[in-house]
Amino acid sequence: MMTRRWEFAGLLIAAGLALWLLLLAGPDKVLGFDPGKAGMVLLVTVTWISLYRISRIPRSDLDAVVSPGEWKAWLGLGVSLVGVVYFVANVRVFGAGPAWTNPEASAVARNLVLLLIAWTVLSNVMGSRWKGVVQRDERDREIEVKASGWGRGALISGVIGFALMLGFSPADRLQWATHFMIANLLVLALMWGWLCEYAATVAMYWHDRR
Amino acid sequence: MTQQALAQSCGVTRQTIIALEAGRYSPSLELAFRIARAFGVGVEEVFRWKSE
Repeated sequence: MMTRRWEFAGLLIAAGLALWLLLLAGPDKVLGFDPGKAGMVLLVTVTWISLYRISRIPRSDLDAVVSPGEWKAWLGLGVSLVGVVYFVANVRVFGAGPAWTNPEASAVARNLVLLLIAWTVLSNVMGSRWKGVVQRDERDREIEVKASGWGRGALISGVIGFALMLGFSPADRLQWATHFMIANLLVLALMWGWLCEYAATVAMYWHDRR
Repeated sequence: MTQQALAQSCGVTRQTIIALEAGRYSPSLELAFRIARAFGVGVEEVFRWKSE
């Protein structure tokens, strides 16, 4: 039990360090080295180790606590939260120009794509753990439908918020609003919608287990 | 019958059965009939309507 707790604490510390390094990606360099790449590698490594540890847990023990739908929701919440925080922390790099002329924006975009790939692989591995059992039933579908309403609302409010900000700001305060920046703000609104949808999903599963 | 066995026979997750037992989830008509059939009794012997 003590070993498990130390292992869990170690993984948490490593994940925190990875996130801190990720937030330094792009414009900030340490001794000429982009720490964002190291942060993403560390985050993916922590994810793989966590997955391996989860795969060692007997399925009956996993099933006892959390359903496959809830596992996926927690995973989606974690990944989308990391993605949104990372995006917001580095949003200023998108003001300098498109990715093909802006190495800092390229670095941020590359790390986000890596995160998406890690999420896809994680989801598939978690899905394979539950082969042969029900992964999604009527309660999961009901929760998905309700949560998608929250996600849709968050997306709409995000887009409207950006539209109001751009529409009602004086022109001299909008130098940062290049076409590339606006495109990325729309992507941020989409990610915000996903984050809210996963948060609502997790909250509903949590309510059912209370 | 265990929760897992009931869940498997009704085609739902164990957590749905847990939520049903705790009164946190109301099943569809189809699921209610499946549960009753799994116990070999009628629906009204498994579920009760609480009028307010």
